[in-house]
Amino acid sequence: MAKQKTFIEDIERALYDVRGEDRPRYRSESGLTEEIVRDISERKHDPDWMTEMRLKALAVYNEISLPGWGPDLSALDMEKIATYVQPDAQMAGRWEDVPDEIRDTFDRLGIPEAEKESLAGVGAQYDSEVVYHSIQTSLTKQGVVYTDMETALREHEDLVRAHFMKLVPPKDHKFAALHGAVWSGGSFVYVPAGVEVKIPLQSYFRLNAPGAGQFEHTLIIVEKGASLHFIEGCSAPKYNVTNLHAGCVELYVKEGARLRYSTIENWSKNMMNLNTKRALVEKGGLIEWVSGSFGSRVSMLYPTSILSGEGARCEFTGVTFAGRGQHLDTGATVVHAAPRTSSVINTRSISKDGGVAVYRSGVKVTAGAKGAKCAVNCESLMLDDVSRSDTIPVMDVREDDADVGHEAKIGRISDEAIYYLTSRGIKEDEARAMIVRGFVEPIAKALPMEYAVEMNNLIDLELEGTRG
Amino acid sequence: MAAAEKEIVYGRIPVPTWRWLGVNEVRVPEKVLREPPAARLVTIPAGETREFTVVTRGEAVSELHVEIGAGAELRLTRARLAPDGTQCADKVKATLSENARFVYTAVNLGGESVADLLDVDLVGDGSSADVAALYFADGRQKIDMNYIARQRGKNTDASLVVQGGLADEAEKIFRGTLDFVRGAVGSVGREREAVTLLSPNVVNRSAPLMLSGEAEVDGRHATSVGKLDEEKLYYLTSRGLSPADAKRLVVLAAAAPVLERVADVTLADEIRTFIERRLSDG
Repeated sequence: MAKQKTFIEDIERALYDVRGEDRPRYRSESGLTEEIVRDISERKHDPDWMTEMRLKALAVYNEISLPGWGPDLSALDMEKIATYVQPDAQMAGRWEDVPDEIRDTFDRLGIPEAEKESLAGVGAQYDSEVVYHSIQTSLTKQGVVYTDMETALREHEDLVRAHFMKLVPPKDHKFAALHGAVWSGGSFVYVPAGVEVKIPLQSYFRLNAPGAGQFEHTLIIVEKGASLHFIEGCSAPKYNVTNLHAGCVELYVKEGARLRYSTIENWSKNMMNLNTKRALVEKGGLIEWVSGSFGSRVSMLYPTSILSGEGARCEFTGVTFAGRGQHLDTGATVVHAAPRTSSVINTRSISKDGGVAVYRSGVKVTAGAKGAKCAVNCESLMLDDVSRSDTIPVMDVREDDADVGHEAKIGRISDEAIYYLTSRGIKEDEARAMIVRGFVEPIAKALPMEYAVEMNNLIDLELEGTRG
Repeated sequence: MAAAEKEIVYGRIPVPTWRWLGVNEVRVPEKVLREPPAARLVTIPAGETREFTVVTRGEAVSELHVEIGAGAELRLTRARLAPDGTQCADKVKATLSENARFVYTAVNLGGESVADLLDVDLVGDGSSADVAALYFADGRQKIDMNYIARQRGKNTDASLVVQGGLADEAEKIFRGTLDFVRGAVGSVGREREAVTLLSPNVVNRSAPLMLSGEAEVDGRHATSVGKLDEEKLYYLTSRGLSPADAKRLVVLAAAAPVLERVADVTLADEIRTFIERRLSDG
């Protein structure tokens, strides 16, 4: 009898692939030069220190080589990427004031509806600029700030200057340097001490222009004892030219604070997603990452948590789905730099149709981080014999009073599990579906409800008897 | 300040990762490899079984290639009992034909710096590799291991088990790779590493890689890094053992599964005594 396999449909992308007309107000020349960087800085009315930082970052970019590991980045030609595309819209505080075509895009993505139903604030970026931002009055009354980065730079310059690219310095890697030179847009959140933001804030990043890059910067500061759930969504329509996303996320979680940062990344398959995310967690603080990687041609994304205060914690939950033509190199890094810090990393990856899913991680326990604990669990499911799934974890432990454990599994749907379920009267197709759903369930449970539904829609299970 | 000693790359991890983790390359002082010996080739004819034990007690560089014929079995034990201050580098490369079996036991004790490379190519269908390694490092000793099991044939079976202890300011890197090459249908790979950290200044790096281009496989790995089990120590001391004896007993118990594979009883005793002495010195 032919061995039965589960067939999982490609991610349904029709919703994301609707292109808006490419009619920007301004589009920088393709390539990366000092003139282009100065032009962006001037158009954004940067303070002098920011212009200087951009130029220094450009110099670093020109000095640093591409990483000597990870996916092939040869398809990326910076000479063909426009680093700044200004949409034909002003930032608005009401959807009615956003130009129809751009508003329609976000309507299709369900952002205004989600705002009404389940969000305390929304930011929407189109190409290089934020076109809509809102926050509930009750939060502003408590001192919560949620705005676009450009406004934050004007209205909270000292705070921005003290934190901007301090966690991810431009010299960190080539694409951090690129980001530092041409960043535009993104969100700024400040939650004062003791304030609990009970309803999530969400920023959505849409890159519509072909042959362009998006370089939004997200900076979040959650003060002592405060809490926040921040959701980030991103998508783009597919073009035949390469697009680039090199965003940067810097998260400051102060003493006893909690921050959940959820992302569903669904870029189009012409996107190089070379994003950097990092959190600094102080004493007793908690960072929770929930990360879904579904889109992009190439992704390199490894959120980093630096547990700098005693008892700081990190929980990372991630799912990656790599289909045809995709090479998704994702994972996490954690640095335990204080006593009694703890981290849990839990990931699932699925690869099919020649897709490459790589789990990559680095866990470091520094000397003196007594009582540090880290548990890593990663599981990979391969659905055919033309795909790849690699697991590349490294642990660096420099403290004897530490407990670090790592477990990984790779393989296909187990015949024994199918046998067990069918022997209990469940039809084989349903048994296979149950197993795949069960495989991603730990991740689905961590997502906000609407995102869990979206993920289930993305992984549209279609089962048939003898395919494969 | 003295000039840094020149090093050369002796081995590489199959898939590189971040440079800051320092695991991409096995580096050996150039002077150690100035006059490397020619690789020794050992062939095990089809259907035959051989057993070898290689014990090294001094500074040495060695390279051994073994070819194990169809249905043949090689049981190879390699023990390095190196005097303090010596620098050593070893490479073992094994190629397995259909239904061949390779049982490999490695013990690394002593020496200033030890590079230990193992590359097992499971080419033949139904071939299997059963690898177990034991190390104990103290003082300022450095052990750098790179073990690779490349599973190419159908229904191959690979097991890597590594057990070790680090004391004083010792440093160790273990890279263990299970590589399921496309076509290795029905293959199973297991990797398990346990590291006991016995002092606050040790450095342990572990890189358990699992690479797969084949869906019809079953691969698992598990790594645990931590100090001595306090509950076990408490139990033993409550039964009248001194803390030092309890520590020695727990470390040797962890090493027992690897030691039991050493067929030469005298050698096994020597290894046990070596570890006991080092623990006593600590």
